[in-house]
Amino acid sequence: MQQAINNDKRMILVCCGTGCLANGSMEVYQALQQQLSTNEVQVKTYTKATGCNGWCEQGPLVKIMPDDITYCLVNAKDVPEIIAKTLQTGEIINRLLYRDPKSKKRFKSHHEIDFYKKQHKVALRNIGEIDPASIEDYISTDGYKALKKVLQEMTSAQVIDEVMKSGLRGRGGGGFPTGLKWKAGATTKASPRYVICNGDEGDPGAFMDRSIMEGDPHTVIEGMIICAYAIGACAGYIYVRNEYSLAVKNLNIAINNARSQGYLGKDILGSQLAFDIEIVRGGGAFVCGEETALIASIEGNVGEPRDKYIFPTEKGLWGQPTIINNVETWANIPVIINKGAAEFASIGTEGSKGTKVFSLVGKVINTGLVEVPMGTTLREIIFDIGGGIPGGRNFKAVQTGGPSGGCIPEHMLDLQVDFDTLIKAGSMMGSGGLIVMDDRTCMVEIARYYANFLAGESCGKCTPCREGIKAMLEILNNICQGEGREEDLEFLQEIGETMQTASLCALGRTAPNPVLSTLHHFREEYLEHINNARCPAGVCRDLTEFYIDGEPCTGCGLCVKNCPVDAISGEKKKVHVIDQDKCIQCGECINHCKFDAVKIR
Amino acid sequence: MRISIDHQAIDVNPGETILEAVRKTGIDIPTLCYHEAFGGQGMCRMCMVEVKNGNTTRLVASCTYPIYEEIEVKTSTPAIEKIRRSIVTLLYRTAPKSEFMENLYREYNCKENRLSIDLNERCILCRLCVRACEEIGSSAISAIFRGTEKRISTPFDEASAVCIGCAACVEVCPTGAIGLSETDEERTIWNKTFALVHCERCGKPFATREQLDYIATRVGMKDNAANFCEDCRKKNLATQISQFI
Repeated sequence: MQQAINNDKRMILVCCGTGCLANGSMEVYQALQQQLSTNEVQVKTYTKATGCNGWCEQGPLVKIMPDDITYCLVNAKDVPEIIAKTLQTGEIINRLLYRDPKSKKRFKSHHEIDFYKKQHKVALRNIGEIDPASIEDYISTDGYKALKKVLQEMTSAQVIDEVMKSGLRGRGGGGFPTGLKWKAGATTKASPRYVICNGDEGDPGAFMDRSIMEGDPHTVIEGMIICAYAIGACAGYIYVRNEYSLAVKNLNIAINNARSQGYLGKDILGSQLAFDIEIVRGGGAFVCGEETALIASIEGNVGEPRDKYIFPTEKGLWGQPTIINNVETWANIPVIINKGAAEFASIGTEGSKGTKVFSLVGKVINTGLVEVPMGTTLREIIFDIGGGIPGGRNFKAVQTGGPSGGCIPEHMLDLQVDFDTLIKAGSMMGSGGLIVMDDRTCMVEIARYYANFLAGESCGKCTPCREGIKAMLEILNNICQGEGREEDLEFLQEIGETMQTASLCALGRTAPNPVLSTLHHFREEYLEHINNARCPAGVCRDLTEFYIDGEPCTGCGLCVKNCPVDAISGEKKKVHVIDQDKCIQCGECINHCKFDAVKIR
Repeated sequence: MRISIDHQAIDVNPGETILEAVRKTGIDIPTLCYHEAFGGQGMCRMCMVEVKNGNTTRLVASCTYPIYEEIEVKTSTPAIEKIRRSIVTLLYRTAPKSEFMENLYREYNCKENRLSIDLNERCILCRLCVRACEEIGSSAISAIFRGTEKRISTPFDEASAVCIGCAACVEVCPTGAIGLSETDEERTIWNKTFALVHCERCGKPFATREQLDYIATRVGMKDNAANFCEDCRKKNLATQISQFI
């Protein structure tokens, strides 16, 4: 492929999100900077380290603009070739282009591929396009324009009204209408008032908030200042978990830049507004994502929730009116102000407006961050954008909403995802985690896994959650070890219902979801464990026996090669055999067999 | 303002919790983590009641729900009883040997189950001990760790510098979970050993030195009366008064 060289200044965008960084994108970025600075290179370029593009599966990603070329899986060793060919002669390097596994076709730009085509970026609009450390970059993409509009043209009541009309609901999980929350905060009499950004993203596999804080920190800051104006707050806090070191770093740079340019501090942009933001680093407790626990943590107390019969909008941080919103919610605010509530509300479903960012992980081809309009079906997200299940395996379930979400089975794949449909399906939106599971996943083991996670992450304050999880974990451990009884299922159901109705906070009330949803949709699998001492997915080791079916086995030897304990033997091109005394039920043979010859007894 | 509790109209002060209001009527709501001296903690969830506010009905913890509206409260429904039974069933295994939990287990007619039981466990994590210690002003103990590992202890399980050995925690504990050993001369509690002070009148050991010093600083005086046990202090006072008569 050869195309006309664009002689204008080239922009090279290197994805430096956490996923790409882990795969060496910083080396790519440095190699580009270093090699482009030598005199031999005669092209004008500008190299930027951007936030996460979401397509982590194919990282490190390098985009060249305005030619709109996207290179995938780039290594620092590829840099001389990129400079010599693409930048100097316009030649496109075929092997670095994305190759669709189904059509085997290569694509020049990421805009052409299914992963991006079906996405609609609002909260993630700038990420991957701008340098998060540069306030000028943010300003060049309409940054702080919404703040100017608010300060110069709108009253605080108009701002709240606009947010209410947009239909925006809290993206952290609860889905509470943001405008209503702001209104409640604005109508209380007490002052001072506070604004908090909840960046304590704790769900395993979820990283949308991290991506926004790392890749577009100013949008969060702008959203918070707009809220401060609307409700009359004087101070804001961004609560970030300390292990998000890049997010903390980029937020710090952004706050300092915003302060020095007059967006934070006294008399913001010449108005009367005085507002500043401080970063609070959290210790990483999952429960601190619950707003009252988060507030307790900022106050220096143990991160434990309290009953919310009086909302934080009335009595929050230090007992004062407090608006607390999730990172992704804040990122939507400038767009609502700039483009108007009506345009925002035109996206999404009746009860859930706008878009939602999902972190698509697990057994799916394109893992990464995707942003789609509310109401997109699970099938579209997993199969069209995500590319389906790898290794030719079958879809089994998808867990939405993190550790306290539910598992949704195949027959519900056409569910249009929004806050309300997910709750009806026995799950929840949560922060937007989507963990895809294939037919090698045992649903009892999944329930056990999450019970185990929550046993360590529940705060342990209220009885139903603490003792309920402890009991559930014990029962599930028994079932996975072949010691379950049928009456255990009834008991699990009863414990789960008590937790749902009686727990103190939303974490406790949703904690039984993985157990209850798998009990509901995959009861047969539980019964198989209990009555027939058999794990149909071949995961629970005590209940699994692998054997090789003579008919499909070609004697290729792939299983022999992958068996870690040398339990498989057989002559080449003849049927192989598993020695049950040696087998440790790790499943490597079944995972690698291309002929479906390894079976589960 | 006036609310309805189990179809009975009662007057309450705005801001009062449902539990406080209900107790005035003589209706019983079971609690584990509530104490008149400290108020509600909203932890045990035994005191859940049904609240109807306008068109919405929901279950709330009565010990932390403040009354600001004219609500209708039901203190016992099948759903509530089910929750209470479930909580007792789950908590019973954390203190199977305590009379307190045994009684509750019987009272709620809990079904037997196969969950493991540790006969040495006695703590139901009601945290009344922590609240008592806080009220005394020491805050020597607290709930440490989280999740299923949560338990009550001093910082780092070491002898606490601020513990005065008053044993208020033991006094308030419903299940006898706090270890305290005492001889005529010494008291050991929370990994700390205290010398006991003997009553000048009857010779009975009645308090720790730290406790008496703490009381003296709190009330702002050095009082010899502090060296008498409670009984003898009363008797002393009675003798003094009788001299005036």
